[in-house]
Amino acid sequence: MNKNVELVIVGAGPAGIEAAITASEFGIEVSLVDLAPRPGGQYFQQPPEAFQEDAYVGSKPRERQFLQRLSSSKIELRSNTLVWGIFEGSKPGSWCLKLHGPLAPAQLNARAVILAPGAYDCAIPFPGWDLPGVITAGAALRMVKNQRVLPGKRVLLSGTGPLQMQTAAYLLQAGAEVVTVCENARSLLLRGVPHLPSVWGQWEKLKEGFDFLKVLVQARVPYRMGWAVTAAHGKDRVTQARIQKIDNTGFPISQPEIIEDIDVVVLGYGLTPSTELFRQLGCEMEFSRLGGGFVPQRNQRMQTSCAGIYGVGDGARIGGVETAIIEGRIAGYASAAQLGHLSKEAADKLISRQKPALCRQMRFAKTLAKLFPVPAGMFSFADQDTVICRCEQVTLGEVKRAISFGAQTVTDVKNIARMGMGNCQSRTCGTIVAHILAAETGKTREDVHCLNIRPPIHPLPLIVIEEFDNGSVKGVERQ
Amino acid sequence: MRIPENTSAMSPFQRGNRIEVLVNGRSVEAFEGELVSTVLHAEGISTFGHKATTGRASGLYCGMGVCYECLVTINGENNIRACQTFVESNMSIQTSVEL
Repeated sequence: MNKNVELVIVGAGPAGIEAAITASEFGIEVSLVDLAPRPGGQYFQQPPEAFQEDAYVGSKPRERQFLQRLSSSKIELRSNTLVWGIFEGSKPGSWCLKLHGPLAPAQLNARAVILAPGAYDCAIPFPGWDLPGVITAGAALRMVKNQRVLPGKRVLLSGTGPLQMQTAAYLLQAGAEVVTVCENARSLLLRGVPHLPSVWGQWEKLKEGFDFLKVLVQARVPYRMGWAVTAAHGKDRVTQARIQKIDNTGFPISQPEIIEDIDVVVLGYGLTPSTELFRQLGCEMEFSRLGGGFVPQRNQRMQTSCAGIYGVGDGARIGGVETAIIEGRIAGYASAAQLGHLSKEAADKLISRQKPALCRQMRFAKTLAKLFPVPAGMFSFADQDTVICRCEQVTLGEVKRAISFGAQTVTDVKNIARMGMGNCQSRTCGTIVAHILAAETGKTREDVHCLNIRPPIHPLPLIVIEEFDNGSVKGVERQ
Repeated sequence: MRIPENTSAMSPFQRGNRIEVLVNGRSVEAFEGELVSTVLHAEGISTFGHKATTGRASGLYCGMGVCYECLVTINGENNIRACQTFVESNMSIQTSVEL
């Protein structure tokens, strides 16, 4: 299938849906492509279709309204579908998106593309972090909230920020025994004072945080500020973990304590933007310490350095759900102007109206990032034999050897040590290697760059590419 | 371990139809709407495979299709992400298959 549409949006989370709805209200023909079986992204994630719907009366009214606006619109939603590459189209100024999904491989051509790919959990490597039973906060939340299954019985959490408190609360409510929560940040109250102005007004978020805290306090869960998991032990799965007090720079400063008889360790170290499509396209990237690492450069209209390619939401820079929605709206206006459905002046006016709210939300997001940092010392937990790149089983020792060979950038480390060349294409280890390289060479994260990404951005059955080459892009069922 | 449908602290819900799947040749209860990784965890299986080069155990890690640590064999097809695949009636799921 080869189809021309006016606007393609990749990712049906809060940012992508808002962009789609905004654009379609101007009469634009929108295709919304999403990997998940149901729209909503991580934040507005819906239960599986086979689970009973009306039982979910507890879901937030705002969430329901958001998804209803989508289903009552004319937007063409393609779920379960991967965009595995974006290329310059045959006509000047057009983009060609390669799709793989249940409706066979397909190709969409559009002059405007809004990328809202979302984010995934950051990782901190330590000995045993690759043992089964050591999972991310995102994984734990999905299991409990969406799949209604416990990852295990006795859980230890380590990480930083509100997401990990939320995860701990959900696990408790679902019946898990939360043994200890290690919050890496220290003396939060004192350090929080200078940030009060930016938190002022975020009552809903604060109340949510307070409710989660209440659950933990009532269950008398040990909550250790300034502690972290520094090793996990077990043969074929995790059975015990080592925790240590850390200083402000993240280095361990206490004797280790062993937490026995656990079967799950949940790690929540903030989020990494999923920038693969931006990098695959060759968008100019910039480094944002508070925004989650390398992110695409964008102008006021959310447009990247590639004309007609927009970036919104956590996938373009970590900013949280409210920021994502506003950015989606702005990109909707901007693409409407680009496609001639709205005058440039009218679009500018609409966009400038979003600015105050956007600034307020960005300030809040920055405050969170400052209050819950992942300091460089935490990347010292790994030892020589710790696997850094899981896919290719590259150890810290091998990464360091590559650095001693003269590697200057993460690409050099990749070329020497093969890290980042496996199935996940460096999604898990890319940031970790950048941290290690920066620490070893005394460079900044910005100096060591990020890896290039080449299509397909996820592994594909070879037959898909073959079908494209043969010019017949129909008929292949997804496995 | 599955969370009971009547857990008071959580919003009420109902799983999909009860089906049967094969886990390493053994018939196992599952529900429509569940992921392969969910059924394996409900069966107490957290080790999904071993790395070909080092033999290190691997299992669910990111839970959202990013890390490829949860690969299993489904209906004879290797390298399928357990966290992205819904169970189907009579599906055959195999863990720790040597490739």
